[in-house]
Amino acid sequence: MTSPALVSSSRLADLPPAVAASVWRGDDLAVPTGAVVSSGWAALDAELPGGGWPCGSLTEVLSPQPSLLEWRLLGQALRQVTADGGNVVLVGPPKPPFLPGLQALGLQARQLIWVQTETPAQRLWVTEQLVQADTAGAVLAWLPQARAEPLRRLQSRLQGGRTLCIALRPEGARSESSPAGLRLLAQTGPDWTLRVQVLKRRGPLHDQTLVLPSVPSSLEAVLSRRTRLPSRCLALPDGARHAVVRPVSAEPLRH
Amino acid sequence: MLWCALCLPNPCGTESLASAQHGLALWALQFTPRVTRLDEAVLMEVQASLRLFGGAVELAARVRADSPALGVVSVAWAPTALGALALARAERGEVGHACDCGGGGEVDTTPLAERLDALPFTVLTVTAPLADTLAQLGCRTLGDLRALPRGGLTRRFGPALVEALDQAYGLRSPAFSWVTLPQTFCARLDLMARVENAMALVFAAKRLLLQLQGWLVARNAGVTAFTLRWQHDGLRPQPGEEGDALVIRTAQPMRDMAHLSRLLAEQLARVQLAAPVETLILEVDSVCDYRPPTASLLPDAAEDRDALNRVLERLAARLGAQRVVRPVLREDARPEWAQQWVPVSAPMRARPVSATVRSEGLPQPTFLLPEPLRLAVRGNRPLYQGELQLLLGPHRVEGGWWHRVEVAGGAAESRQVARDYWVALSAHAGALWVFQTRVAGEDAAWFLHGVFA
Repeated sequence: MTSPALVSSSRLADLPPAVAASVWRGDDLAVPTGAVVSSGWAALDAELPGGGWPCGSLTEVLSPQPSLLEWRLLGQALRQVTADGGNVVLVGPPKPPFLPGLQALGLQARQLIWVQTETPAQRLWVTEQLVQADTAGAVLAWLPQARAEPLRRLQSRLQGGRTLCIALRPEGARSESSPAGLRLLAQTGPDWTLRVQVLKRRGPLHDQTLVLPSVPSSLEAVLSRRTRLPSRCLALPDGARHAVVRPVSAEPLRH
Repeated sequence: MLWCALCLPNPCGTESLASAQHGLALWALQFTPRVTRLDEAVLMEVQASLRLFGGAVELAARVRADSPALGVVSVAWAPTALGALALARAERGEVGHACDCGGGGEVDTTPLAERLDALPFTVLTVTAPLADTLAQLGCRTLGDLRALPRGGLTRRFGPALVEALDQAYGLRSPAFSWVTLPQTFCARLDLMARVENAMALVFAAKRLLLQLQGWLVARNAGVTAFTLRWQHDGLRPQPGEEGDALVIRTAQPMRDMAHLSRLLAEQLARVQLAAPVETLILEVDSVCDYRPPTASLLPDAAEDRDALNRVLERLAARLGAQRVVRPVLREDARPEWAQQWVPVSAPMRARPVSATVRSEGLPQPTFLLPEPLRLAVRGNRPLYQGELQLLLGPHRVEGGWWHRVEVAGGAAESRQVARDYWVALSAHAGALWVFQTRVAGEDAAWFLHGVFA
């Protein structure tokens, strides 16, 4: 008697190669049909189907609060997108983006567009319009309040397209169902790290937390060895209070 | 030779036949420069343009799709002008004879003589006044007429009849006066019914936009600004309320009808009509040379950019131009003035400011608060979602003594800043950009100004 797994794999071999490639079995990582953009960390890429952020599929990034780690997590991928000539469109960011800091990430002024929106319905409408244009670029949409249906519409509009669309949502949305193909929870960790959990992907369940080193790129040049590990050097005893504020880094600033 | 006859109904609804013909001729000029008006129809000769429009079948499909919006009731294709007109009239069924030969807007390859012979003779303009006499002679169709001796026909009815027959059958070629392309575009449309809803004007304006498209293609131009005027009905002669207008501008020369009508719809959605509308007028304000998109197999970066520009234009039409913006760097050390957001539609400066060098090596956040946020202090340490750890600093930013702005009351206020910026760590809010500065009447205060997100 043959095991079910063997039966299914032999049947898979009978299929034409193009069909077999699009069959995804739940116990291994899917191969996305569209392009992917590397996230910049080998450890994270290894956990994402296809080895990067998928284009032509909705990706949700949940974080405890807005404007906490967006550029640190996505910067490498966006640099890649703009290097290939794509534009980065921001829909309703929580605070105005600051260009000098984004330039340190490798983004150029002429490739950055900020769409200011007021209501959740406007954000969704704008995102949908951008996604529908299907340009080879990135759309970053802050969607703190969005129900599943509009997101599903977004996902179906994206399907088979070239746009890298990332929805940035609060951690509270974790318990809601989501039509996104990929869902991550990202938090900040001590000593310039990001802690990333893959909540949903086309692949086996991922139950570990990835710890990714990530120094904001404009700080890369100015951090010293000590300030790269602030938790070790700067742990202040709770009672200690300084009368005068002084630089906690004992080293002089390197320029 | 391939002729296409586009028949308009006569009388032509509310507008006069001449203006309907003029509009139709404008639209037809996009296919060929050889467009002429004949009786109640517009005729165009398209043999030389077939390849450009993808062949006769493609072109016929396109004409069939667009022409009903311009009021055309029947379309026919034939190798001669009068033949095409005769077929179009026969198809319209006004001559009281159902016809299954050559109309229907399709290009038919049956020999022309066969198709024409079966038609009633009234389809030719010259025979219409002679209908009674010819019927008494026992003629019903063009074929019967053609079978009569030419000499006798000429002697009895004059040379015009035989000449028209020869022209229809392609034995003699007539001379036409071609329609010339006007230098400016101004089209007018009297609406069938009073329109009270601004959104309904979008549908009415489609006909005008189709004419505009034809005119633009014929001129090899794209529109950058046009005006849609509407006039209220004459029953309400209130002063100052004769009508209103809407000016639409596009970032790039544009001739895509779908995009223009979407822009129009976004703008009209915000319009409140003062009274029912009777007449629409479309005028072109400015045009530019148009470079049609390259037909390439591979995805093209330029095509992508155009697609993005179109969608941004649509967003700006709904949200307002000030809300779809791109950054421009300024030469200023103070972060608030180091960048400026300008509408995407504004022309880009050819040479970007070389302000990148200035900020190199200094911490620069990725988000900047619109206004610095005053932080509470506990034991000389600033608080923001808990106590902040100061990590790097201070970086002194000082300047702006030259920058004075008018405030309410006519007084000038200085925008000078003298700040010590620090990179601070918060357990919950990540890496922050805070500064300490003197405030009037107090010693010093802490402010949050940016986030290293």
